[in-house]
Amino acid sequence: MSDKKPRTYEGKSDIKVENPDMIICRCEEITLKEIMQAISEGARSVNEVKRKTRAGMGLCQGRSCGRLVRKLIAEHTSRKLGNIKPGTFRPPVRPLSLSALASLETDNDEKS
Amino acid sequence: MRNPDVVVIGGGIIGSCCAYYLAKEGLKVTLIEKGSVCTEASKSCQGHLFLWELPAINIKLAKASKKLYKELSEELDIDIELRNTGSKSIIEKPEDIETLKQTLNELREAGVECELIDAKEFIKNEPNVSRDIAGGAYFPADGQLNPLLATIAISEAAYKLGAKIKTYTEVTGIELSDNGSKVEAVETTKGKIKTRYIVNAAGAWSGKIGEMAGINIPVVPRKGNLIVVENIAEDFLTCKIIIASDYLDSLKGDKKVAVAANVQQTREGNLLLGSSREFADFNKEVNPEVISEIAKRCIRFFPVLAGLHTIRSWAGLRPYSPDMLPIISDSPIEGFYIASGHEGVGITMGPITGRLITQIITKQKTDLPVEQLSVNRFTKES
Repeated sequence: MSDKKPRTYEGKSDIKVENPDMIICRCEEITLKEIMQAISEGARSVNEVKRKTRAGMGLCQGRSCGRLVRKLIAEHTSRKLGNIKPGTFRPPVRPLSLSALASLETDNDEKS
Repeated sequence: MRNPDVVVIGGGIIGSCCAYYLAKEGLKVTLIEKGSVCTEASKSCQGHLFLWELPAINIKLAKASKKLYKELSEELDIDIELRNTGSKSIIEKPEDIETLKQTLNELREAGVECELIDAKEFIKNEPNVSRDIAGGAYFPADGQLNPLLATIAISEAAYKLGAKIKTYTEVTGIELSDNGSKVEAVETTKGKIKTRYIVNAAGAWSGKIGEMAGINIPVVPRKGNLIVVENIAEDFLTCKIIIASDYLDSLKGDKKVAVAANVQQTREGNLLLGSSREFADFNKEVNPEVISEIAKRCIRFFPVLAGLHTIRSWAGLRPYSPDMLPIISDSPIEGFYIASGHEGVGITMGPITGRLITQIITKQKTDLPVEQLSVNRFTKES
């Protein structure tokens, strides 16, 4: 068996995030400093951080920053990573054109 | 730990505003929220301030509330992104212009600023709107804010005034005095809190909280779906709120599902496309048919939307009261107060609701007459 750390959905847990001006959420350009301020003001979940800072509200919907935000919350609230829920994912899975959404066929259309 | 004077149930815009104004008045407040602050309707909305929803009392409430938001936006530590956007309404068919003229006259009588716009002028000012419209109306007093930041900022301001904010705490019961005439305590998943007053600001859940105290509050959830569009040029909309005139029809509670085009652009440039009104009990799942219909209606009025992308959709539950008037009221049980039933104008009416509840509890003269908003109006009829 390999002693390599398995790469899980939780990402690389040993990444050091230290520079306050480092961008955590690229889509919305939210820095480490801003995330940390939200946590210090009491945000305890990815959703709470998001509501205050916009981290995770952009085009990728938190697919890249979500893990780092979880890790930061866990570190700074002394909780286990597994106890910090990921942000809520909602449809669509990928950006979807509105024309495609408008022409969505549903079961009901077939019936009527 | 000393007991609070008042327990506010619900950490949305209404509960946060109640907690803020009560704390400002010097009362000891505990706010209880089953999730975190701003997790339900207040975070699922567009953040508009509408100053034209009849009857006249609603318009008075909305106007007073907008003034309070202006004061708050200067006092609060967080920028709530309040801006005077005005709003526009689109008329689809020429035969509906006459009805619009009548509606505008009624609104003017009720004190609403509004004006008719002909199709040519509408299109000139809104380059992305369809050429195939009959005209519209402009409501210069309407506005917009960031509902997430407003709710959070107001609850944090309440906290700084001494209010306790207990999140992830769910109410499980209301304890009354032996003869059932008076509130004694709120039972929660994290223990019992003795209190003199309770404010039920539980939004779509306020009927359930009412039941715990034996009070009939006929507020039911009315689901709304929204679609978020990728952020685009800030000037996509000249006027940041544009709704189709069938929005008025969709407000009526006569259909199980109603959809109307309602396009709003946020400060970041994202579009929020709505809106729908659906009675589906407490189901908060996004309804694919409904969001598809919303997309269709919005593309009808803004054809260029067809090529843009949605990045997220969600649904939330508005607290619907059967007569579309909020309930801002005391109740047959001493110490039990209600601030609910705001439907689609909870953000609009948050601050005035907080002030009125505070004035009712502390027995001061209210800023506006509140008789019409009493919960008694439902018991009288039955």
